Amino acid sequence: MFKKILVANRGEIALRVILSCKELGIKTVAVFSEADRHALHVRFADEAICIGPPKSIDSYLNIPSVISAAELSNADAIHPGYGFLSESAYFAEVCEASRIKFIGPSSEAIRLMGDKARARSEMNRFGLPVLPGSEEAIHTDKEAISTAEAIGYPVIIKAVAGGGGRGMRVVHNRSELLAALKTAQAEAASAFGVPDCYIEKFIERARHIEFQIMADEYGNAIHLGERECSIQRRHQKLIEESPSVIMTPALREEIGNRIVQAVLEVGYSNVGTLEFLVDERNNFYFMEMNTRVQVEHPVTELVTGLDIIRDQILIASGDRLPHSQNDIEFRGHALECRINAEDPVTHKPSPGKITSWHAPGGPGVRIDTAAYAEYVIPPYYDSMIAKLIVHAANRDEAIRRMDRALDMFVLEGVKSTIPLHRQILRTPEFKSGDIYTKFIEDFQQDRRARAVEMA
Amino acid sequence: MNLKELKEIIDIVTSKESIEELELEKSGLKLRIRRASNSVPAVSVAAAAAPALTMPAPPPQISTPQETQEELFYIKSPIVGTFYKSPSPTSEPFISIGDFVEKGAVVCIIEAMKLMNEIESDVAGEIVSMLVENGQPVEYGEKLFAVRPR
Repeated sequence: MFKKILVANRGEIALRVILSCKELGIKTVAVFSEADRHALHVRFADEAICIGPPKSIDSYLNIPSVISAAELSNADAIHPGYGFLSESAYFAEVCEASRIKFIGPSSEAIRLMGDKARARSEMNRFGLPVLPGSEEAIHTDKEAISTAEAIGYPVIIKAVAGGGGRGMRVVHNRSELLAALKTAQAEAASAFGVPDCYIEKFIERARHIEFQIMADEYGNAIHLGERECSIQRRHQKLIEESPSVIMTPALREEIGNRIVQAVLEVGYSNVGTLEFLVDERNNFYFMEMNTRVQVEHPVTELVTGLDIIRDQILIASGDRLPHSQNDIEFRGHALECRINAEDPVTHKPSPGKITSWHAPGGPGVRIDTAAYAEYVIPPYYDSMIAKLIVHAANRDEAIRRMDRALDMFVLEGVKSTIPLHRQILRTPEFKSGDIYTKFIEDFQQDRRARAVEMA
Repeated sequence: MNLKELKEIIDIVTSKESIEELELEKSGLKLRIRRASNSVPAVSVAAAAAPALTMPAPPPQISTPQETQEELFYIKSPIVGTFYKSPSPTSEPFISIGDFVEKGAVVCIIEAMKLMNEIESDVAGEIVSMLVENGQPVEYGEKLFAVRPR
């Protein structure tokens, strides 16, 4: 078992790792930027080392600083959290070379899954369906037409070098195709420097459903069920839940088993999440794999009763998988709202001082946060300040519980997405589970239209 | 620790302006005292019997003669690593107290990940004091030397 773990992160996830270490009797080292001197993760770690100025690139993303801090403090392992260096194959390699255990999969696994195109073709080889699409960039009109035909309209044209929703064009029929391709290529060239575009099937009303897996370093793996994360804005998740309304125990078992097989084939270890896009006929298409613990892991923890971070640490220290698939039971329904310090309508970040703070409690309510009363939210990092997660016997009760908890959450001094979450939870569509990835977009458009009407 | 000892510690902290924050851990007791005069926000902790914190990693700084803020410039560590005052264990230190250094002069080495990084002075002036010990781990921003600029 590790004696000391350095947490290479900040905010709520750093605190989350520290708390599991405390329960395991493992000493912790926090690293912090100058902007985080008064952060909670610094306070609750056994040791703390300042590693740079406020900007992430100079501090939390600064590999020499982080490794140096681990060496100075004699940490035997590093937990990278999520974001920052958690999916840097290079960082995992440096840890390996420095003989510090990286709590996560191997650098090869990170590298494989980081190459999205390669990850898809590998997982496809091992039995996971992927979204039909051209393997490579489209070079001629003829290729474009025949590829689109083979896939079946609607299709989406995407930049090879792109991401984050930019350089994409949806095409509904053949007559639109060639003009859309030219425009997409021009956009790609100007935004990403490379005009290459590929074509993929487009799902109108898609659900984002992901599966959590856990594997040890001895070839054992299990799945921990799914999470539905369809409520997102610009590819940033806002609300997550488990189970998904479309899931049945049989479907879960079938997909779960296939996934477990696939991750074993690629030699994966520690935790990971496979993301799928699901069409209206409940066809699952593998999109990508995240080789780290996710923001929304508490949702799975509440329905399974597990401590995923703790299991990560045990696996990394050489233990066999702490649970077998038969041990895993899914009980009740969990819902998570990501509370961001931003304007609930414009989503402009709202850093500053929290003047008043009271987190809700009661049965089935959990808060993962590093914020507190009088805390000054620094402007240098992402705007998420708390995760509010609830667990109840079924989805209806979970929604009621979340609404109650949001209502009793006192957060003043900065703007937050709490009002937005309450509004979403009250829509008939959310209540009936009729959700999809464009939900927020349509919801906000709707709101703007109604505002115009009333003006 | 009895009340008298606690009072003594509080007196020490309040009388020494150079101490902004004190953390002490000793056989079952953890104590943290922070000077109220600065604008640092207080942390509210849920239901702790006593404010509890443990000693941060870097050993306490060697106390230096008090100088006013405007007179001194501090050379701070730009990286995380181990401070060495000489180029090698058998050499003379780069500089001594009282030396004059030019801007850009090498004042020490900070070793990080087996690489020896030469640290240069950002100003020209007189070295007033060395604030860390040879072989001490230092963090980013740690004050290494006090310099009276020319």
